[in-house]
This record gives sequence, C-alpha cells and structure tokens, in this order.
Amino acid sequence: MTILRKLGWFFRLYWKRYAIAFVALLMISCLAMVAPWITGQLVDAIANDTLIYERLVQEVGLLLSIGIVIYGLRVLWRRQLYGASFKLAALMRGKIYDHLTLMAPDFFQRHHTGDLMARATNDVTAVEMTAGEAILALFDGVMTGVAVLVMMVVMVSWKLTLLALLPWPIMGYFMWRFGHQMHDTFSEAQRQFSLLNDKTQESITGIRLIKAFGQQPQMERAYHDVTRDVSAANLAVAKVEAKYDPVIYLTVSTSFFLAVAGGAWLIYQDELTIGELTSFTMYLTFLIWPMFAYGWTLNLIERGSAAHKRIDELLQTTPTISDHGTRDSVESTHIDVSIKRFAYDEHSDVLHHIHFKIPPGSTFGIVGHTGSGKSTLIQLLLRMHEGSEAALCLGQHDIREYKLETLRRQFGLVPQDPFLFSVTIAENIALGCPEASLDDVRAAARLACIDDEILNFPEQYETLVGERGITLSGGQKQRIAIARALLIDPPVLILDDALSAVDLNTERQILARIKAARHGRSNIIVCHRLSAVLQADEIIVLRHGTIEERGRHTQLLQLNGWYAQMFRYQQIEAAVQHGE
Amino acid sequence: MASNSATETRGPFKRLLAYALHDKKRLWQALLLLLIATAADVTAPLLIKVFLDDYVVPGNWQMDAIIWIGIAYIFFMLLTATTNYMQAVRLNVIAQGAVQTLREQVFAKVMRLPLSHFDHTPTGNMVSRITNDTESIKELYVNVVGSFIQNMMRIFGVIIAMAILDWQLMTICLLFVPVVAFLMWLYQRISAPLFHRARGLLSDINAKLHESIQGMRVVQLTSQQNRFRRNFSSLAEAHYQARRRNAHLDAWLLRPLVDLLQKLILAGLLFTFAYQSLDNPVEIGVIYAFVTYLGRFAEPLIEITQRLNLYQQAIVAGERVFQLLDTEVETTRTDDNARITKGKVEFGHIHFSYNDKQPVINDISFTIPAGEFHAIVGHTGSGKSTLTQLLLRFYQPQQGTIQIDDQPLNSFSETALRRAVGIVQQDPFIFNSSVRDNITLGQTINSQPIDESIIIEAAKQAGLHSHIERLPQGYDTILDERGSNLSTGQRQLLAMARALVHRPQILILDEATANIDSHTEAEIQQALMKLRGRVTLLVIAHRLSTIEKADEILVLHQGKVAQRGSHTALLNQRGIYQHLYQMQSMNLKDE
Repeated sequence: MTILRKLGWFFRLYWKRYAIAFVALLMISCLAMVAPWITGQLVDAIANDTLIYERLVQEVGLLLSIGIVIYGLRVLWRRQLYGASFKLAALMRGKIYDHLTLMAPDFFQRHHTGDLMARATNDVTAVEMTAGEAILALFDGVMTGVAVLVMMVVMVSWKLTLLALLPWPIMGYFMWRFGHQMHDTFSEAQRQFSLLNDKTQESITGIRLIKAFGQQPQMERAYHDVTRDVSAANLAVAKVEAKYDPVIYLTVSTSFFLAVAGGAWLIYQDELTIGELTSFTMYLTFLIWPMFAYGWTLNLIERGSAAHKRIDELLQTTPTISDHGTRDSVESTHIDVSIKRFAYDEHSDVLHHIHFKIPPGSTFGIVGHTGSGKSTLIQLLLRMHEGSEAALCLGQHDIREYKLETLRRQFGLVPQDPFLFSVTIAENIALGCPEASLDDVRAAARLACIDDEILNFPEQYETLVGERGITLSGGQKQRIAIARALLIDPPVLILDDALSAVDLNTERQILARIKAARHGRSNIIVCHRLSAVLQADEIIVLRHGTIEERGRHTQLLQLNGWYAQMFRYQQIEAAVQHGE
Repeated sequence: MASNSATETRGPFKRLLAYALHDKKRLWQALLLLLIATAADVTAPLLIKVFLDDYVVPGNWQMDAIIWIGIAYIFFMLLTATTNYMQAVRLNVIAQGAVQTLREQVFAKVMRLPLSHFDHTPTGNMVSRITNDTESIKELYVNVVGSFIQNMMRIFGVIIAMAILDWQLMTICLLFVPVVAFLMWLYQRISAPLFHRARGLLSDINAKLHESIQGMRVVQLTSQQNRFRRNFSSLAEAHYQARRRNAHLDAWLLRPLVDLLQKLILAGLLFTFAYQSLDNPVEIGVIYAFVTYLGRFAEPLIEITQRLNLYQQAIVAGERVFQLLDTEVETTRTDDNARITKGKVEFGHIHFSYNDKQPVINDISFTIPAGEFHAIVGHTGSGKSTLTQLLLRFYQPQQGTIQIDDQPLNSFSETALRRAVGIVQQDPFIFNSSVRDNITLGQTINSQPIDESIIIEAAKQAGLHSHIERLPQGYDTILDERGSNLSTGQRQLLAMARALVHRPQILILDEATANIDSHTEAEIQQALMKLRGRVTLLVIAHRLSTIEKADEILVLHQGKVAQRGSHTALLNQRGIYQHLYQMQSMNLKDE
C-alpha cells in the first residue's frame, strides 16, 4: 500500500478526477439496485393481476432511463479515471527523462540504454495500472462490499453473516502471501524484460560488427537464452497470478456452503425463513465481485510497487555532479588547473600531479599516448566528472562556484566521436543555438570546411542525417560537430581529437580558418597528430596520467623526449619518402 | 489502411493463433481442463438448488442424503478450483512459448536484414517492436483466447436452458448476439487506427529515449536540456492523448454500452411478458427464470467485450511485429562449398549509391592479387569506406561485380565470407562483456574455445596487450556498453586484435589508425608487415605513412579512381596524391 502513498502527489494533483470517478461509481452502485426492485414490482403486479398498461409503460420507461443514466455515469468515470492514469504515465515518463538530462556520464556508464528504456516504458505501464485499474477495483470493491455486508447484517441475520464470513480471514492470509510472491516474481520479470530490451538494443546498435564477423548464429543463441529467461520469469508471475482465482473461488464457494448449511440449520431451529435464506444467498453472490476486486487490487498494487521501486531507484540517483553554483557570469576565461590526483575508482589513478594555466586568447595543446588521460582531463574541465583532489578554476573562481550551464556555455567541445541527432544537418549544427539563421549556420559550416559538401547533398542543409537520413562518413560527422561548436562561438573551443578522421589537407585548412576567426579567444587542442599543435602557445605531453614534458613546439624539440622523438619519427617518415 | 482494417486484422489474428498451435498437446489439455472447470462450476449451484427445493423447503431433513449433497458440493468446488488453476498455467505456458518463438524469429530476422534497413530505421523503434510489442501479444493467448472460449461455452449453456423454457423469449434474448457482434466489429474498425497510432507513438518514445541517452553528453554540453525535455514531454503528451482517445472509445462502445443493451433487453422482456399478461394468464416462474438467465447470458458477453481492447492491442502489436518479420530480404543463392582459400579480390565496374540519387561509387575496377597489400586514399567523402562496405556485402552494388578467388561475392555463404574477411572499423563497437569476449566475440575454432595464447598473440600483434595488462582484471575486465573505460585509441587496438584473432585471409583496415598515436601506429604497421604475403591487405588511410609500403595505391576522387600505382610512381605523377603528400610533409616541416 505504500505505493499509494508514494503516488500521493499525483492523486492530490488530480483529486478532482478521482472524486468525480468516485461519486459516479457510488451513484452507479445505488442505481444498479433499482433495476431488480422494478423487476420485482412488475412481477408481483403480474402475479396479483393488478398491472395496468399505464403503469407498465411507466415502470419500463423508468427502467430504460436508469439504464441510460448508468451508461452516462459509466462512460464518465472511465474517462476520468483512465484519463488520469494515462496522464500519470506521461508525467512519469517526463520525470524520468528530465532526470536523465541531469545525469553525468558515469551514470550512463553504469546504466545500460536498454534498461533505462525499459524503465521508462514497461515499468511506467505497470505503475499506471495501479493508478487506474487498482484504484477502480479498490473504490468499487469496497463500496459494494460494505453495502452488501450492511444489508446482510441488518436485513437477514448477523449470526449467518458471521458464519458465512468465516473463510475470509483464511483468504486474506493467502492473498497476503501471494502478494509477497507477486512482488518478488514481478520484480524479477521486469528485470528480465530490462535485460531483454538491453540485449536487443545492443545487438541492433552493434549490427555492423555482428555482420562483419558473421556473429548472427552466436547472437541468436545468446538471444535464445535471454528470451528463455524472460519467459520463465513471466511464467513465474503467471503461476502466482493463477492462484488468486482458485483461492477466491474456494472462499466464495465455502461461504455459500456455510451460509446454506447454517441457514438450513437456522430454519430447522425456526430462527430463519426460507425467503430470508434466499435473499441471503443472493447477497452473497453480490460479494463475489468485491472479493475478486480485492485480489485484483492487491495483485496490481504489488506489480505497481515493484515497478515503482525500479523507477524510484532511477529518480533517487543524485547526479554525481551537483549544480549548486551561483555565479552566472564569467569575468575572464583564464583557466587554472591543479590536479593532485584523479581516479574513476580506487584501483588506478587516471591523472596525477597536473598543473597548468591557460591565459585567455591562447592556444593550448595536449598530446600524448593512447590512454594517457587526455580526454579525462577535458571532462574534468567541463565538470562531466569531478574529484576532491582536483581543483580547476575559471577566472578567479573554482568551476564548482559557477552554475553548470554558465560554466559549460564558456566551452565549445568537439568530442572524439561526434554524435549527430536524426534531424536535419542545419538543426544538428544549430544544436547549441536553435535560433541561428541559415546564414550563421553556413558561416560555421564554411569554417569547418563542410559547406561545399553539404550543398552537394540532395536536400542540402535540410538533409536528414542519422537513423532516418543519409549516411555520413566519419570525417563529415567530425566537421559537422566542429561547425556546431563554432556556431556557438564559445570563449574556449576544445577540439578533443576532433580531426582524426579528417585528412591532413582539410585539417590544415580548418585550423587556419579557426585561428583567423577566433582571434582573442582560447583554444584547447587535443590530438595525436602533432601537426595540429605546432603553433600552440603551450603544449603538454601526457604520459600515464601526468605531465611528462611541456613547452612550446621548439622547446619541446630541445627537450629531446617523447615529443621530439615522435616528431622526429614523423620527420624520418617524410625524409624516407623523399629519399625514395 | 483504415478502409479495410477489418479484413486485414484477420490475417495477424490467424497467424498469432498459429503460434499457439505449436504446442497442440498442451493446448488440448488446456481446453479439456477448461471444459471440466466450466461444467463443474455450473454444477455446484445446481446442488444448492436441489438441496433448498427438495430438502429445506419441504422440511425434509434426511441426514445421509444431505451429507452426500454436501460432499458432492465440496468435490465440485475443489474440482473447479484445481482445473481452473491447471488450465490457466497451461495457457500461460503456451503463451510464453509463443511469445518466445515470435521474439526469436523477429530477432533472427532483424539480424539478417540488410544494413540499409538499419540506416533508415531508428534503433529504438526496432527494439520497441521486438520487446514491447511482443509483450502485448502475450495477452491475446492468456486473457483473450481462454476467456473467449470459456464465455462462449457459458453462453451456449444458457441458450440451451432458455430454449427449453420458452422459444419466443429466447429469441428476444438472442437478439443480443448480432447486436453485440456488430458492436465488436464496429469497435474493431474504429479502434484499429487509434491503437496503431498509440503504439507507434510508444515506439517513438523508445526511439527518442534511445537517441537522447546516446547523445546526452552533447545535449548537456550545449545546455539544450530544456529544449530536449520539452520535445520529449510533448511526445509523451501525444501518446497520452492517443491513449485517452482509445479510453474514450472503450468507454463509449464497450462495457457500458453492452450493459445498456442488457437493460434494453430486460425492458423488452418485461414489456412483452407483462403485455401478454394483460390479456392472458402467464407463468410467473418463466419470467423469473428468464430474468435470471438474462443476467447469466449478458455477463459472458460483457466479459468478451471487456477483453476486446486487449485483443485489439495484441492484433495491432502483432501487425507491427509481422511487418518487421515480413520485410523482404533479397536472398542470394549461395554455394555452400564455395571457400575462400587464397584471398584474391576483384572489383569490376562497380557503381553504387546509398539513395539512388547521389552516386557514391562511379565505375571502379581493381584487382588485388592474393597476399598483396593495397591501399585506398582520397579526401573524406570520396567513397573509401563505401568500398569496404561493398566488399563485406553490407550493401549490393547497383552495377558491376565483386569477386573473391574468381567467384562472385554473392556465391559465398555468410560463414565462409565472414571467416575469411576480417575488418578493423573506424568506429569499433564494444560489447558489454569482458575484454576476452570482446576479442573472441564468443567464437570458436573447430568448436573449441579460442586458446588463450592465440588471444594474447593477437593482442600483442595489435599493440593492445600492454594496455590490457594495466586494467584491474586484465583480460577479464568487463567493458561497458560504449567502451567508456577504454580510450578511443584503445578501442581501435581492440578492434584490431579482434580481427587478427580469427586469422582472416583478407584483412581490411578502415581508417583504423586514425586515433592512434604514431608510436602505436608503428607497432601496428610492423604487425601488418608480418602479415604481408600471407594475408591480402586492403588499407584505407589518410596518413600516407601507413600505406607507403603498399604494392598499389588507389587514389579515389568523387567516387572514381583518379590515380593508381605504387607510392614512388604516384609521387612522380602530378595529381592528387602528390598534392596530398605535399600537404602532409608541409605540415610536418612547418616552423
């Protein structure tokens, strides 16, 4: 039942809908009692030969109008109640999505895409059932149940009522047990569904690899195992669910048995008339629905709470990057980085003893081995990760003092593997400022040397890319991502190995254009190809997470370390090529 | 589509039912149990009637007879409960089996779809069809078919009982049946497009979620969270509206309306009967019985209509699943005996376009003799990667032929082709499992798991070994989905090891060295040189250093071969290669 408390915010928000549904249901239960009464009256009149035509028309007319009123009320509560529960689903999905937008990258590393999708679809549906069907069964079941019990006690016999209700506590006990089983099995089924979603999602995302390596048979075998587990988990739920009906049936039948046997005994004792016993058994039949409703409600509530727990887990995750900063303006883009130590987990240091400053308007280069921590450094600067022993300042203040949005607006990052959304090219470039005009977009695209190619596409800037559109090459994607960053015209531009899929000729052009267009603003260039940082004001060489060498290009050459070696290696290549 | 949806839905329903027929024995058991349960359920109240009418009313207290009735009642009660439970379990087993089969079939189908399909269908949509839609189909077997059969049997029973009592009055009640049938038909017709819309939107929600999760970093970095939130909540709102419309339709046409009909019939019955009684004497018992039977008759019909929306939902979901399952795949006749033994590659006059509008490859021909090292260079977008995709048979060229070992590419079976052609891709995909599994991809050699030494050797060749040794659990380290615990360069080394472990005859490197530092690249190049002569190498790169030792270099320009020849030969020609080369050496010599 805690689920109902947890959904309290929603019930309070839409209390009117629930109130209307409640009143409508109440009126239906009352009106429904009228039809049998009219029938009885008519039958009596026929039997006594007192029926006249006018009365017949009157009574039948009344019967019909009650039927129509009930119809209206039934339509009404359905619209209110189901409408509300569907609204809950939409709101919860929105909440989950909002929450996802607050999460830092480490969250998405821990949670798989398919699992997150399953929680936002499948689990939300289960909670929605609680807010709709379960509430209905609860309202309706309780109302009918109470009314019938009152009739039984007042009109017939409290002794017989008590006797007939004897099996109920036993049913209650079983229901309670099934509830627990339902909670556990349903949680497991939802978890398995998540795994299934995940496996499906992963397989489709990795289809190129699967095809290239002829992995279809292996994937199908693996998928067979997953679907088998899902089926087993769902079957376990179905088996628990299948127990509800027989138990309710047995309870009702036993009640009947006891009522009839006890009733007969009371008749034998002259404490009851045969007519009273007949009414009593009729009332008992009215109790069948409330009992099923009771079982159904418990079932749905258990399902809902299992699903809600999974959603809550998600919503309760606090962002590892908190947005408590208050500063919303930046005086200077002077960057001061001082990292004593940073690690994703206890096992291995990713970065240590890194200190550098980037004065406004300068170009800063970061080079180094594969896996030496270059991208991690950039992520720290943008507060995608943070560590207690890493102090990063922008202007005069620690980056944590800024509002996250303010901080990130200072930077335009072009990541290693650019991500394009399945919208038009223009919209992809204008991601950071959707209000930009086509001319602005084109200007950015020209800086990134992609304008000509876009104009060659069938719909030019309106061409759809990604899943619903055309296939772009790696280099084209990178340049669109560069245009995206340049359009924002950020105080600090960061190219995180963003030119790797672009050929050297184009790389040169882009760098030259950026240099000309971004006079007075800072650039950070992370790269493997030293050609991109030749003109940087300072270059740091990272190795195993720390700065091994630093200086300008010429200074680094004099140091005769990794940088010089790497540069020479590239020069030897050139020399050999010339010699041949 | 809406115009003949009624006839269309018969298709998916039959097909879905066929899945339940796979397990005929269990289905018969379930039906038999259902029959017993329904019969026993009807018998128990009869016993109470006998007890009341024959013993209690006349005051006939015959103890042993009464006890027998009691025992019989308890027996039928237990019988009903047990058979109902067993029946429900069986139906569920059938349903789960059917859903499982369906899921596996769709999955297998999706795995065989041509890549062009994936270029144009959002991943989230496909996931939604395979998981969410199949989940709804389950309801058809459990809640629709079982309940339909049970209720039909009940209706039959009541009709027979009514016929015995009074023919005419039964006919009035029977009017119910065509009216309800018409209602069901009408409902199906109106609701099918609405359900389609709702399910389509759910699938869009999935697609949106998928894309947003993949691209969340970009969204956050550009501070566009609010815009994306608004987009998503308007999608959720559209889904809500579509479902609300469904709920309204359900409310107007299903249970409440059938209930109203029941009241109409009741009124009709009473009126007819009472009207007759105005002139002639009638039997009160008959009207009493009919009123009772009418309730019993309406209840199953109401139940059936209650399930109608589940039915419709399952049918619509089924249609969506079948649509995916029925996507036509061009099957090529393959020759199971065709094997790649040498690795000679031949492209003959290939023309290709992704969208039939913009040619990507325009009349390209070349031959790579077995064991040679050929390279392709060119500006980005010149069609380099497309050539490898064609060789991998991901796409079919519109014109021209590709041959390996003098046999058409399409004659090789999937296994033969994949075993012989290895690729190191530009953007390697990492599975959520251990480094080891990511290298072997769970494959086997002669049904033995790949030997540890082979894995390590491949990792060493790719320059990956030293990186793996630094990971906390070495080769057993679990990599996450997007490979975030590896850098981009390390991911590419992994892809390299992945290709080498299978010892292919033809190895393709598709800009595989783009994100690797020069030192690591040199290591890979050494590995390549060792493979030379044994393996046919096709290398795409824009770093000319990677390919200068190639036997032949193909220079692509706008989908055509602009130049070809060895490094030295090309350097001495005026053309793109010389230009590219000069650009690179200038870069290195600047300052």
